[in-house]
Amino acid sequence: MGKYFLKRLAAALLTILLIATITFILMHSIPGGPFTRERPVPDSIMERLNEKYNLDAPLIEQYWDYMKGLVTLELGPSFSIIGKDVEELIGAGFPTSAKIGLFATILIIVVGIPFGIISALKQNRPIDYTVMFLATLGVTVPSFVIATLIIYVFAGLLGWLPTFGIENPLGYIGPVIALAGYSLSFVTRLTRSSMLEVLRQDYIRTARANGIKEVVVMAKHAVRNALIPVVTYVGPMVAGILTGSFVIERIFALPGMGGYFVESITNRDYTTIMGITVFYAAFYIIMILLVDVAYAFIDPRIRFEKGAK
Amino acid sequence: MRDIDKSKFVFLSEKEKEFEEFRPSLTYWQDAWRRLKKNKMSMVGLVGIILIILFAIIGPLTTSMSYSDQVNDFKNLPPFLRVYEVAPDKFVTITSDYSLIRTTKNGRLIERLEEIEVSGPVITDEERTDVTKILSPSEQKKRNDEAKKNLVKQYMMDGEIIELNFSGVVDSELEHKYVFTYNGQVTNEKTKTVWNKKYPFGSDNLGRDVLTRVMYGARISLTVAFVASLVNFIIGVTYGAIAGFEGGRVDNVMMRIVDIINSVPLVLIIIMLMVLIGNQGLWTIILAIGMVYWVGMARLVRGQILSLKEQEFVLAATTLGVSRKNIILRHLIPNAMGPIIISMTMMIPSAVFTEAFMSFIGLGVSAPMASWGTLANNALAAILTSPYQLFFPAAAIAITMLAFNFLGDGLRDALDPRLRKG
Repeated sequence: MGKYFLKRLAAALLTILLIATITFILMHSIPGGPFTRERPVPDSIMERLNEKYNLDAPLIEQYWDYMKGLVTLELGPSFSIIGKDVEELIGAGFPTSAKIGLFATILIIVVGIPFGIISALKQNRPIDYTVMFLATLGVTVPSFVIATLIIYVFAGLLGWLPTFGIENPLGYIGPVIALAGYSLSFVTRLTRSSMLEVLRQDYIRTARANGIKEVVVMAKHAVRNALIPVVTYVGPMVAGILTGSFVIERIFALPGMGGYFVESITNRDYTTIMGITVFYAAFYIIMILLVDVAYAFIDPRIRFEKGAK
Repeated sequence: MRDIDKSKFVFLSEKEKEFEEFRPSLTYWQDAWRRLKKNKMSMVGLVGIILIILFAIIGPLTTSMSYSDQVNDFKNLPPFLRVYEVAPDKFVTITSDYSLIRTTKNGRLIERLEEIEVSGPVITDEERTDVTKILSPSEQKKRNDEAKKNLVKQYMMDGEIIELNFSGVVDSELEHKYVFTYNGQVTNEKTKTVWNKKYPFGSDNLGRDVLTRVMYGARISLTVAFVASLVNFIIGVTYGAIAGFEGGRVDNVMMRIVDIINSVPLVLIIIMLMVLIGNQGLWTIILAIGMVYWVGMARLVRGQILSLKEQEFVLAATTLGVSRKNIILRHLIPNAMGPIIISMTMMIPSAVFTEAFMSFIGLGVSAPMASWGTLANNALAAILTSPYQLFFPAAAIAITMLAFNFLGDGLRDALDPRLRKG
């Protein structure tokens, strides 16, 4: 088990390193530097700027500095937000994004899984149709539309929720629902189909034939097995929710990381783009790693299979 | 053995009888089509897709307007107009920035009336957008009411003065918050809501027809989706087939590369690519989406090929001296087509989604062209005053997603060999 974990950890670190390298190469192969403007900057000023940000050093040296910075978590100064370092931006934005993301994740797990199970148990009954209708709607309507509708209806027409910001605890409701929408529907559908699949299995029939109470059959045999594919989805989903939050943060004007990221794209603020991309990627990879490890604990079949490799 | 009680036996229901039914032999695709036809939802999806494609292809030909035609006089007009009859056979409608537009009885727009005098505070466009950003809706409403309190606007119509008076009527619960005076006569009675004949989906903040823009947007969104799926198909199938067929070390290296790409959020890669290539319109986004989404396809095809290549017909082909290229193209890929098609159907809506997402954060096609995502993004600023500007593009995205999802689900059931009976 320990060996498996170490192997996975090494692979994850290698992937992060590779992504950082690719990001670096991509950013430096763009014609024109970060200070290229519509009105050309005089050469002498350009030289000084490049000197200040160490852009005149050989590429290898810049790469080395960048990598050192990654390890020590110094991601360099932002090119467009003067006087701020990228790690400061991430530090300022991440807590907000993480809070919204965490609430959304809780909502997805607490609502999505039970509804998926209920829907499977009551297959082809009205409740199943209702849940599936809502879930289908949820995966077809883009999150920014849900967000805008929430603002229009609950903030604009009814005035129950604030239109932006999270100073007021009520302000969390809109962003969390909009952010959770897609994954919530997906988890519900996934739980339902996986539950239906499990209910057809022989071991469920065996358990019933052995006279085990239906509640126990469901809780101990069916639900536990049905949740395995759901767990696989939840790991990358948590990281994905953070990426999905770019738009939500923008609509609700939240001071999160996504806002900085979108802004850095429009401003061609290369250090910020690089920094946040690597941060997101690292976060994503670590989440997947954690899920894989947790998975090996939950499902012995996977542990042995991977161990044999 | 005990006697079996006959009453314990029951006839099979109609549905159960089908399990034993004899059927003429059908090819894989005939069978799939037969089963797909039975699935009502997927037929609805298929019809929906055809309609959306027709909407995109034929739609723009039916309108005389272009997606970039701006009519400054007719901006931010909703699809339904409230028309006031200020004098016999003289109809006007009022815009969201309180100017008057002359219409016919059934909602045909004639002209914007010339403004001759304004007294009292005027709410400008800038102030209005400013207000939405700073104040809460209730505060905003209060401020608007406050500002309107003494607003009197005068317009010229047929040489007579028409006056729009807000003073004294500040009760926001009242349906008519203003009084018209035309030629000295006060009217605020006869109103009716009619369909906007010129702009069936309304007009946007630059006076462009939303319907036309949604139709052109369909062209862009669908082009992106189809071409990106095609790119994804070509790269994914080639890559997966080579990895699966070669096996061994080649397979290992190729699949590790896929693993690495797959371990990064795909949206991030697309953003990086878009930033790298520079946002140069439609092709950039197609390329970026197509270059990223193939990893899923590659994995799927590799898995299929891995199991197919061990089968006898491949051995037979090899023995007969068929070249490796032809084995892959003629024998392996056609046999893996079912799952590939399902994956393509699911790929298209997610490309529409991704494109909308990218457009929304400002990495889409450049103005005045607009995809559904761009339209939705543009509508955001005026959501409180003109929600219809968001509704139509959003509905278009949702309908497309639904249609493809229904069809995809149906195809999955129809093409899954495990579900084939008899």
